[in-house]
Amino acid sequence: MSGERTAGETARRAGALGKYRTILGRYVLPQRKLMLGLTLLLFMSIGLQLVNPQIIRYFIDNAQGSGSLRPLYTAAILFIGFSVVQQIVSVSAAYLSENLGWKTTNKLRADLAEHCLSLDMSFHKTQTSGSLIERVDGDVNALANFFSSFIIHMAGNAMLMLGILILLFRENLWVGLVMTAFVIGAILLIQWIRKFTVPVWTKWRALSAEFYGFIGEHLEGTEDTRANGAAGYVMNRYYGLTRRMLPVRIRAFFGFFLMWGTTIFVFAVGNAAAFIVCAVLWRHGALSIGGIYMVFYYTELLAKPIEQIRTQLEDLQKADASLVRVQNLLETEPLIKDGPGAPLPKGPLGVHIQNLSFAYEPEEAPTLQQLDFRLEPGQTLGLLGRTGSGKSTLARLLLRFYDPQHGAVRLGGTDIRQCRLHELRSSVAMVTQNIEIMEGTVRDNLTLFDDRIPDERIMAVLVEVGLGEWFRGMADGLDTQLASGGGSLSAGEAQLLAFARVFLTDPGLVILDEASSRLDPLTESRIEAAITKLLQERTCIIIAHRLSTVQRADRILILEDGRILEEGPRRELADNPDSRFSRMLAVGLEEVLA
Amino acid sequence: MKARQFFTRLLTLHPVLYLANLVAWTLVHMSLLIPGLITKRYFDQLENHGHYGYAVWGLAALLIGAALGRMGVIAIGFLTDVHYRFRISMLLRRNMLAHVLNEPGARAIPCSPGEAISNFRDDIDQTEEAVSWSVDSLGLVGFAIVAGYILTSIDAQMTLFVFVPLVLVVAAAQIATARIQKYRAASREATARVTSSISEMFANVQAIQVAGAESRVVRRFVELSDERRQTMVKDKLLTETLSSVFTNSVNLGTGAILLLAGYKMRSGSFTVGDLSLFVYYLTFVTQLISNLGNFMTYYKQMTVSFGRLKNMLQGASASLLTAAAYTGVGKPGRDWDRQEQRRKREQAAAGAGTAGGASDSPRIGVRNSAGAEARHGAVAVQTTQASAGSTPGAAAKTEPLHRLEVRGLSYLYPETGRGIQGIDLELQRGSFTVVTGMIGSGKTTLLRALLGLLPADAGEIRWNGQRVASPADFFVPPHSAYTAQIPRLYSDKLRDNILLGLPPEQSDLTGALHAAVMEEDVARLEHGLDTVVGPRGVKLSGGQAQRTAAARMLVRDAELYVFDDLSSALDVETERRLWERLFRQRGEATCLVVSHRKTALAHADRIIVLKNGTIEASGTAEELLALSESFRQLWYGEEAGDDSAG
Repeated sequence: MSGERTAGETARRAGALGKYRTILGRYVLPQRKLMLGLTLLLFMSIGLQLVNPQIIRYFIDNAQGSGSLRPLYTAAILFIGFSVVQQIVSVSAAYLSENLGWKTTNKLRADLAEHCLSLDMSFHKTQTSGSLIERVDGDVNALANFFSSFIIHMAGNAMLMLGILILLFRENLWVGLVMTAFVIGAILLIQWIRKFTVPVWTKWRALSAEFYGFIGEHLEGTEDTRANGAAGYVMNRYYGLTRRMLPVRIRAFFGFFLMWGTTIFVFAVGNAAAFIVCAVLWRHGALSIGGIYMVFYYTELLAKPIEQIRTQLEDLQKADASLVRVQNLLETEPLIKDGPGAPLPKGPLGVHIQNLSFAYEPEEAPTLQQLDFRLEPGQTLGLLGRTGSGKSTLARLLLRFYDPQHGAVRLGGTDIRQCRLHELRSSVAMVTQNIEIMEGTVRDNLTLFDDRIPDERIMAVLVEVGLGEWFRGMADGLDTQLASGGGSLSAGEAQLLAFARVFLTDPGLVILDEASSRLDPLTESRIEAAITKLLQERTCIIIAHRLSTVQRADRILILEDGRILEEGPRRELADNPDSRFSRMLAVGLEEVLA
Repeated sequence: MKARQFFTRLLTLHPVLYLANLVAWTLVHMSLLIPGLITKRYFDQLENHGHYGYAVWGLAALLIGAALGRMGVIAIGFLTDVHYRFRISMLLRRNMLAHVLNEPGARAIPCSPGEAISNFRDDIDQTEEAVSWSVDSLGLVGFAIVAGYILTSIDAQMTLFVFVPLVLVVAAAQIATARIQKYRAASREATARVTSSISEMFANVQAIQVAGAESRVVRRFVELSDERRQTMVKDKLLTETLSSVFTNSVNLGTGAILLLAGYKMRSGSFTVGDLSLFVYYLTFVTQLISNLGNFMTYYKQMTVSFGRLKNMLQGASASLLTAAAYTGVGKPGRDWDRQEQRRKREQAAAGAGTAGGASDSPRIGVRNSAGAEARHGAVAVQTTQASAGSTPGAAAKTEPLHRLEVRGLSYLYPETGRGIQGIDLELQRGSFTVVTGMIGSGKTTLLRALLGLLPADAGEIRWNGQRVASPADFFVPPHSAYTAQIPRLYSDKLRDNILLGLPPEQSDLTGALHAAVMEEDVARLEHGLDTVVGPRGVKLSGGQAQRTAAARMLVRDAELYVFDDLSSALDVETERRLWERLFRQRGEATCLVVSHRKTALAHADRIIVLKNGTIEASGTAEELLALSESFRQLWYGEEAGDDSAG
């Protein structure tokens, strides 16, 4: 009867684990070999642990009598031998389970990283890279134990517990009954206590992510902080965070205490019960003194699986919090769904913006309203307008960083929502004024780890965009390490590197969003030739604040407050004295003459 | 500072709290002595009297009572532990952050931000663990002494056998630790590479998406992760072997007891109760030893972490890591106040010392920088204003700028050997100076070296003829304010991004917004100045971010405004208004500006043309157009002259 109840208990707990099933199935099951090895070691370890108390009982009962000392020595030596073997087994198991943990979590890390990279800017606008480190690495670290050893330890400990109970029943029915009741009570109590502690961990992890996001952000902004004497501001934010973190951490620790304290209490009760039962049985002659010692030994031994189940549950608590966050992250759907895969034509792409309206937030005023225009393949469009008029937004729509609420973007006649994102973005290239230099070699920064691009081609492009001299100064050539954010690179050089990136791909549409804003006029004119070559046989949209940049444009489009103010062939607009463009040219001229 | 001194310092930071923690955990460990004695008594009772009676019930009740008592001490221990852990780790993080903010801004950390985050997180966590585990050792000693006494009085020879494995274990651990260090360093490095790659990945997410390079970036991430796995597993194997040596000693000890006890039990000089006590204490001695082992392991890991933390300090004394300071929790006590004052004085004195050179130069930089620091210190921790010594008003005494001279300023990037060399420069009060030149000619480097954001290799800066000893401390408001080429905004409200801690009631925020041509944008934002701008300010357009940074600079009253390529993301109209307002409103302020824009160049009192890190020419636009070929090229944006095709 008790055996059934124990089995029922195990089944109930297995049910509670149901919500982890998908994630375990996906990440742990593929590591079958490791799992098998671990299970084997586990069986050995359980057997060895169960046999040792029997040796001690044999020893004590024999020591009470008289006769040869030999069996006593044999027992002692056996005990030592088994102990040594068990240690070897446990080290091997630790090794395997660590390996399993890293293999599975690395897979999860990679999946998370890939998933985050597939999310659009609406997600990344709300995340600091520091807080993403916490989510992709910190949270997964908290899951490592859960992956590596949770099931095995849970199953192993359950089996060890069961084994001990069976052996106790074998010794005496009453002992077995009392100890079974004790085990069940202990587990129920511990489970109940656990309920109070999980939410705090979720909160602690979230705060922790915010904290490291804050640290990361200020590690990047030291120049601004330093020169504007704003260290006090940063430190005040730091103090504010500490103040919020301490109470949560105290509560999290209190959770630990509750768990540990409960176990201590439960075991004191268990031992006390064993005291009384054994004393009664001893009086009736149903238990030898060696038997009593063995019961105590097994009771102590029960502490281990229950204790381990407790720590495993504690880890599960942390894992729980992290798992929820990991799952949330994995379930964060990109707003931009990959299309079914309509092909984009090769060569220059025609652009057709069809009655397009777009707002970043549905309730906000639209950033772009009822845009409608065409750009023939191979043509160059100069997109003008004041800051905030929606130029960069239009560029983002062309790359599908966002989808319009109304209307459509067609490239080469295909609605871009029908294309695979990957294909779209390999056909449309964009250079912005952002400095996006990663820590890594010059080569990695240019090819973004595409090792199919030969070095000769990279070097040729560097010369073409005017970085030849700069490159000759690099001690390790293409293997020179660049620092995160550019480091010793000047902003202009970083912008030229971004240009070079595009030269190494073969897009059908090129968008230059203020791509030369950080260049001095001389450098800009020097790369003119390179740009001309790049734009040959390609459609191009040049977004500019200044007029000199759009001299090569075939057509001009002027945006104001998200609407088309003027659109037409550049020459026509320039010749028409009433056009906004020609008036702008006059202002631009003013700039030159000032 | 050695790791040992660092560690000792951490233990003595909050002596009372540490002592309370130590006492609590000593009691926790020593309370383990009691159940063993109760069990022995139980066996003796059975063997001697053959009946159970009330004594057995009494012993059972005692057992539960002892457990309740133990829980009480553990509760106290947890409370003291969490406070101690939190206080020291947050202090270390605070001091490291404060140090980073105090370094030359453009070289504040010696690694990528991702790696630095891993220092902030993991290395300090390791240190915290080591400190926390240190309190367990005394409990072990106490337990060992009392247990040793009890056991010796039962059987001295057997007691020896209990403690021999103990000594062996400690020796084995010592030998093994040397190897742990190596693997630990490797696994920490591998971890840093992984976090750094995540940071880089998401800092450049748009570039990666634009290039469609997601899968390639992830593949690289997978490679780095696998390297980490390998180092981690090696590390684990070693730690585990070590810890198994610890645990195994218990079993070997028990085996030894059995070997000896057989003979003695037969002769009746050793009871089952004695055996149970020996085995029980042995178990806990081992448990406590493995605590000690844990501590030793954590300590070794901490020394590795300490090395990495020292590296973050870029040569500064490691003692500043543990300097007492306010961390945001608890009362900002008098103690750290005094220490802070002393530290500042020492720092100021050190700054003056390293300045060297002409000893008769009045060191106004030192004096003023102390004033400026005090002011910001006062902003940072308002509660300590009264006790801070110098009043916030000290800043008002800033000497107006009449002339700023720079002589022979040089800085070469160690990686590339490029930079600026021998720059001479003079700014008069109220002048507007533009630095221009081709990309990579050293414009930004010049501004950074002048402001102390890069540590100059050589050169001298004089403010009204007085030498500035430490530019990094001197060139902050109210002396100067600065907008970087790529300004960084923080995920905070727009208002706080501009004020950066200035008291709102004393700041002309509206004026600064107007001067930066930002007022209309703010009006258009749904939440106005309360808009949270998102990480790195991504919720603002490039131009808005740039003008927010300009407002950040202009809201600070300064004698000298320095801005680097302020208008690169602005349209013609906005830019025109920005310059117009700047020219109109700057009043007596002196400006030093990097720009290619004709508006700026045409308005400049003086233009400095840089080429390959040296000044090629200088003068007004008119003069330079007549005299300098380079300037003509920069002005017209094309190669003029004979060798040009036109």
